[in-house]
Amino acid sequence: MNNSTQTLNPFDKLLDLTCFTPLGLLSLLVLAILPMVPPFNQEYLIRWLISAAFIASMAIAFDFTAGLINIVNFGYCAIMGLGAYTSAILVERLGLSPWLGMLAGGLAAAGMGLMIGMITLRLRGIFAACLAWFFGLALMGLATKLVWLTRGPMGMRVDRLFDTPSNVPFYYLLLAMMVIIYITCKWVTRTHMGVAFMAIGQNMEAARTSGIDPVFYRVSNFVLSCAIGGVLGGFYAHYYGILTPDIMHTSKTVEVLAVAYIGGRGSLWGGAAIAFPFIFAMELIRSSLSDLPGINLVLYGLLLIMVMIYYPGGFAQFFNTYFRQTGNKMASYLFNGVAADTK
Amino acid sequence: MIVLETKELTKRFGGLTAVNAVSMHINEGDIVGLIGPNGAGKTTLVNAIAGLNPPTSGEVITFGQKTTGLTPEKMCRKGLSRTFQIPIPFPKMTVLQNVMTAAIFGNRPGVIKDHAAHSRKMLEFVDFPIHEDTVSEQLNTVQLKRLDLARALASNPKLLFLDELASGLSEGELKDMMELILKIRDHGVTILMIEHIMQLIMNLCNRLVCIQFGTKIAEGTTEEVANDPKVTKAYLGGSGNTEAAAA
Ligand SMILES: Nc1ncnc2c1ncn2[C@@H]1O[C@H](COP(=O)(O)OP(=O)(O)OP(=O)(O)O)[C@@H](O)[C@H]1O
Ligand SMILES: [Mg+2]
Repeated sequence: MNNSTQTLNPFDKLLDLTCFTPLGLLSLLVLAILPMVPPFNQEYLIRWLISAAFIASMAIAFDFTAGLINIVNFGYCAIMGLGAYTSAILVERLGLSPWLGMLAGGLAAAGMGLMIGMITLRLRGIFAACLAWFFGLALMGLATKLVWLTRGPMGMRVDRLFDTPSNVPFYYLLLAMMVIIYITCKWVTRTHMGVAFMAIGQNMEAARTSGIDPVFYRVSNFVLSCAIGGVLGGFYAHYYGILTPDIMHTSKTVEVLAVAYIGGRGSLWGGAAIAFPFIFAMELIRSSLSDLPGINLVLYGLLLIMVMIYYPGGFAQFFNTYFRQTGNKMASYLFNGVAADTK
Repeated sequence: MIVLETKELTKRFGGLTAVNAVSMHINEGDIVGLIGPNGAGKTTLVNAIAGLNPPTSGEVITFGQKTTGLTPEKMCRKGLSRTFQIPIPFPKMTVLQNVMTAAIFGNRPGVIKDHAAHSRKMLEFVDFPIHEDTVSEQLNTVQLKRLDLARALASNPKLLFLDELASGLSEGELKDMMELILKIRDHGVTILMIEHIMQLIMNLCNRLVCIQFGTKIAEGTTEEVANDPKVTKAYLGGSGNTEAAAA
């Protein structure tokens, strides 16, 4: 809540509008110039940056459901995959532009979110999570089996968004998408709808007796979060250029979940902030320990357990307790900005 | 005027009949006490009326309309609020946000212009002792109950259910709570309170309903019910409550 009524200077106003703290904006600038600075200007490191920005974006939208209304969407990457396949098929078969394809992917995923939201309405968190997971498995099964449509595990070739061998334009597009996703989600949390999300996520009975209709809010939350996943899926398809069903695997969702939870449930920004160092660390580990496949999943598990035990609020909680409470005026401004609830 | 009436209201959990054909009514302006030994079915009865646990059979008539089985959010908009026996509001929200939730969603759109100001008024009304920016998971049970009360009042109810609001209070706090409940009644809110503390019941309620094993065993003015041998026996026998029995 920002109840300061004094007029803000234009810079602070912009920060307030975009829900960024000065530090958040600074990090964003760093991310923006990184591809021009050695060693990050090498293609393989730009690919890592894209992976990180992708997981970061997914984590924000995943946390929008898991952190706010407290339902873990275990089928999230399958829904992202649905967006990817929808876009790929429309573009390859019907000659749609990839941009429209991404939009269509978002719509398809939103439709799926609507369906899952409706079906899981009466269910408590854990059962809703399981059902979303089953939906994800079914979607992945379809993508594998409908070979005539998706070419199954052989992989489907997809046109890339930009007709250049360089990945840099993809990185900037994704970075912009990440910022838009963050601002959209954060904006929603500032509205009455956001209050309703938090209320039904924290105490369903008290929320309902306070007059909140959980049906509407739960479904809206699912639809928005899935739509974002679908658009990101469209991006994925037209970035990699080849689509296989294993992007829909539960282990991909677990990766997003790990980043979102370690970043801090319900913070929205936490997952995005740690995704970059985290994905780089994981890639380094993966390339140096290539004789131990799956080691990254073990590490996710261990890290998650540690976070759950020591810092259930994740990195965001850590940051809030050790940095935001600082007495130093400059630092406090840097970490908090003018509105205390922002990135 | 009758604001609430139940007819043969029954709630079964599998084989257990927690509320058995209870018919009762509440008049406007009443403070009705709902009493009975532990496990008698008081909370279940209140949940069945308020919509949290819809009744198996029977009828509920609220403000002259049939409201059997309506959802809690619909009942809230109709002007029914309730507090919880074990209050767990929204743990990660601040005190103010907790109350604002009901201020925003418990009233018809447009009725309340400034939700924060309205919520502050509610906190002031219940004399909430802690700063409004405190995260509510840091409060103790007594504070949480008061917060829950402010939340329940924020939707401007005409009928208010209080589930053991006063349990765990010290002697002095009990006096404050009694005054507060009277103050709420004087603002035109009809009250149904589940309570074990005899001192509170005898001082506040003008009518009592007593249930035992889910069945209503007495209903009437406070004196009538308090002196009813069936009621005394219910409290003394078996699952009796020492506080009540001593009174
Ligand atoms: N959700 C439920 N499922 C199954 N049984 C329940 C449920 N809720 C309550 N009961 C049972 O219904 C009976 C009445 O419980 P209830 O909580 O209504 O009693 P109470 O009068 O409020 O007691 P207390 O004074 O201890 O609060 C008890 O035997 C209880 O175990
Ligand atoms: Mg009870």
